[in-house]
Amino acid sequence: MSTHNAVPRRVLLSSLTAAALAGGGQRWALAADAIKIGMPVTLTGALGSIGTQMRQACEFWAKQVNASDGLLGRPIELVIEDTAGNPSNTVRKAQEMVERSGVRLLTCIVASNEALAVAPKLTEWDAIFVSGDNGDGRLTGESLVPNFFRPNTSGPMGTRAVALWLRDSPMKKFYGIGMDYAWGHNSMDVFAAEVKRAGKEFLGAVFSPTGTKDFSPYITKIRQSGAEGCYLVLAGDDNNAFLSQAKQYRLGDKIQLLTEQVDEGSINAVGDAAVGLIGGSRYSATLDNPANKAFVAAWQKEYGRLPQMFEGDQYQSCIVLQAAIEKAGSIDAAKVRSAMENLIVNSVKGRVEMRACDHQGEQAGFVVKVVKRPGMEHPVPEVVATYPADRITPPCNQMSYDN
Amino acid sequence: MDFLPFLLVQCLNALSQAALLFFLGVGLTLIFGIMRIVNFAHGTFYMLGAFLGYSAAHLSGSFWFALIAGPIIAGGVGAAFEIGLLRPLYRRGDSAFLMVTFGLTLVLGDITRLLWGVDPLQISLPNALGAIVFLFDEPFPTYRLFLAAAGIIVAVAIWQFLERTRLGLLIRATSQNAEMVHALGVNVNLVRSGIFGIGCGLAALGGVLAAPMVTASLGMAGNAIIDAFVIVIIGGMGSFLGSLLAAVLVAFVQVFGTYYFPDFALAAMYLLMLLVLMIRPGGLLGKEI
Amino acid sequence: MRGLVIAAILLAAAPLGLPPFATTLLTEALILGLLAMSLDLMVGYTRLISFGHAAAYGLGAYACGDLLIHTRLPLPFAIFLSASITGIVGIGVAWVCTLAKGVSFSMLTLAFAQLLYAIAFKWTAVTGASDGLAGIPRRVGPFGLTQFQTRNGYYYLVLGCLLGAYAFCRVLVRSPFGAVLRGIRENEPKTISLGYNTRLCKIAIVAISFMLGGLSGALYAPFAGFANTDLLFWLFSGQVLIMVIVGGQGTLLGPIVGAAFFMLLEHVLSQYTDSWALFFGLIFIGFITFAPDGIWGLFRRRVRI
Repeated sequence: MSTHNAVPRRVLLSSLTAAALAGGGQRWALAADAIKIGMPVTLTGALGSIGTQMRQACEFWAKQVNASDGLLGRPIELVIEDTAGNPSNTVRKAQEMVERSGVRLLTCIVASNEALAVAPKLTEWDAIFVSGDNGDGRLTGESLVPNFFRPNTSGPMGTRAVALWLRDSPMKKFYGIGMDYAWGHNSMDVFAAEVKRAGKEFLGAVFSPTGTKDFSPYITKIRQSGAEGCYLVLAGDDNNAFLSQAKQYRLGDKIQLLTEQVDEGSINAVGDAAVGLIGGSRYSATLDNPANKAFVAAWQKEYGRLPQMFEGDQYQSCIVLQAAIEKAGSIDAAKVRSAMENLIVNSVKGRVEMRACDHQGEQAGFVVKVVKRPGMEHPVPEVVATYPADRITPPCNQMSYDN
Repeated sequence: MDFLPFLLVQCLNALSQAALLFFLGVGLTLIFGIMRIVNFAHGTFYMLGAFLGYSAAHLSGSFWFALIAGPIIAGGVGAAFEIGLLRPLYRRGDSAFLMVTFGLTLVLGDITRLLWGVDPLQISLPNALGAIVFLFDEPFPTYRLFLAAAGIIVAVAIWQFLERTRLGLLIRATSQNAEMVHALGVNVNLVRSGIFGIGCGLAALGGVLAAPMVTASLGMAGNAIIDAFVIVIIGGMGSFLGSLLAAVLVAFVQVFGTYYFPDFALAAMYLLMLLVLMIRPGGLLGKEI
Repeated sequence: MRGLVIAAILLAAAPLGLPPFATTLLTEALILGLLAMSLDLMVGYTRLISFGHAAAYGLGAYACGDLLIHTRLPLPFAIFLSASITGIVGIGVAWVCTLAKGVSFSMLTLAFAQLLYAIAFKWTAVTGASDGLAGIPRRVGPFGLTQFQTRNGYYYLVLGCLLGAYAFCRVLVRSPFGAVLRGIRENEPKTISLGYNTRLCKIAIVAISFMLGGLSGALYAPFAGFANTDLLFWLFSGQVLIMVIVGGQGTLLGPIVGAAFFMLLEHVLSQYTDSWALFFGLIFIGFITFAPDGIWGLFRRRVRI
């Protein structure tokens, strides 16, 4: 049986390096003492680039913690495995982490359908899952489970930030294109409602299946709609394809493109095609607060580049988890859960409050514009507006807003 | 916009997509025609082409160079694979090919990830191709016109190659009766390696040409292989003209289907495939096999 | 036969000696084994190469998920009802697909599976669209039976289904009907000339294969607690076909071993390296080059020597 229970080599290695980083491997008495964080993360396939960003943020955080005094005097050990974005793998791997490696804390699950598959199992596993990027509004709404927490910005919150910005803009008529995916529909509903509330006109929306390669019929529809602004709820390859083709059609010359999330991965991929895009941002390296300045400086020293959106968002989730563990003085799921509720943390995005009613982190929202700056290889998002947490966060268990 | 100009513009859109689908499908159908194997790794060569094209364009600074270098390297990889791994399997059943090409998909996909990383990459277009022309007062990308033209040129070139050259004759003969060609003293193995390389090269050409529109990404392969299957199935396995016809048909159904019935965008292609197969089980121009 | 009994006893005793998670893994392996075995009826015995067997799995999983979420049907009934539904759908699919032969048959099955995939994305009320169905319960019953809710209890349910299905398939392929199937595999025109309605036989075997595939999907949904579009994806169909070939087609037991091998290999490799796909692929290529008859063939050769 001993071979069966052996710790996989990667886990062992990561804990050894963690210990080594902490100074000769002597400071931690036993590897078994480590706080294990399970990360069933998508590293290969279409969402691999987002998962890789999130993993890097977690590794950076673990390294920082282990380089100081650890967490509760214990080192952090990351248990990282690739799910290839398939929920069947995610559930199996998460369960293995819980049952074989004794993991009680999970994070870094990339796709919403993976998160939705894992969430109902958390009570049975007696484990806490802290989302690092999952945007689906339902995770803190109808699908909420007691052991799920979302310190990151949700999809509806990103949309709300853009909508608030639009209230002050002269644009009157809007159209939308979203991924034919739960997230796309959710966010588009929020956007439509917000536009109508602002007394403006929502002309309609169209949804493209994931994996769409030719956006010309959609671009035609957007042009014909007569809208002044077009709202995009697209991600990954679909987003890159749309932006590239929209640029080839010069769509942005007549219609302002707006998006729920501006991520640097997309900007770097499509280059100039992203210039002029205005959208919500979950995190920007340019945010002006002491925690972020320290984070950006340390990150640049480590990796020689600025942290990107998913990195900042996942990092904040790690910090929130860290604060909860410190407050609980334990990694016991029940204790961490009660410590997490009403927890207030000042992190890279400023103040985050984990409200007890639906486990959503209340936090500020940002709107950015993608611009070209001399001396920079890629266009960069710059913050054009910031909205306080009470205007961005939806009412408890809801995906829409009242005012 | 009036209906007629709208129709013309959409037809151009459809033709540009047809060209991409044709590059993808024709290689698969040629390979099937000669070797009777379903190349599961075809989409992976399409993706490989895009990444190779990116590097070639990046190093040389020329899109045109990428257009030539990407397919040639990918075709070389394909031919090497045929010689090294497929050739020993010709006496075995189709299932062996399925497994080996499936294995190749995984291996090549992961090598691509290791070499180029997980982030999508963009091939930037030369100014002439990144420009626009005004059709009925609306901007239209010259790149799409270029794609449509490239599709027509390559289709004619392949057709002439198959009809007029000795190698083309051999290819057609081998697809009908490999043993007879072998008995005539022709090196059938060489024909097979050649056509496998050409097929993979054509897929890679499609990949290089698609990259400026969709970026080179690891998700390309899985997306492309199913498209390639659909083209080959609708056109008829092994039929060159069939793949051309199918590419045009699918592109038109997708462009107009998506425009008028966006809710059925995903299902349209498969409905078309089912419909064609129910009427003609061997595909439009294929024999039932 | 003796080996079989020993294997069955070992499997029955497994949860007692294995650590908990190993039982969970084994349960999933057996579910996939059932799926691969059901495909073997088509591929190995009748030479109907289905390229869309994920359709059966997905249909079974969605049907079972919906029954458990929306009705009060006890777990075993929901599972068997889902298998029956899949079998009935299978008759329709078979009726269309058997219009064609050879590669065209494969492609028609692929077209059907992809169409279902597209429908699953759109029919939100039944399939939950892109999110799928989550939180599928293992309902108590019948007669207040709670054993199936536990890890080991569920394992025995799966094992029971697999053994039952194997016994059924074994009887089937050795029956006169099985002989006709082999006749179709070797030489269909000759079988027709002997006076058999081969089309009807093919429809029957496709429907049976769908039913058993549906059974395995129905077992998966409450096991994992969710069902989503990935279960219907064409890539999964290809993987199941490869499980059958790796295990050894036309042997019923081989595909079960092949499925377990495929799943466990991927699972274990991905624990050690991000490049698991590279090694996974190399192992496949090596396998087909050096072990043409699959795992079962390798095993048989050993035993004979």
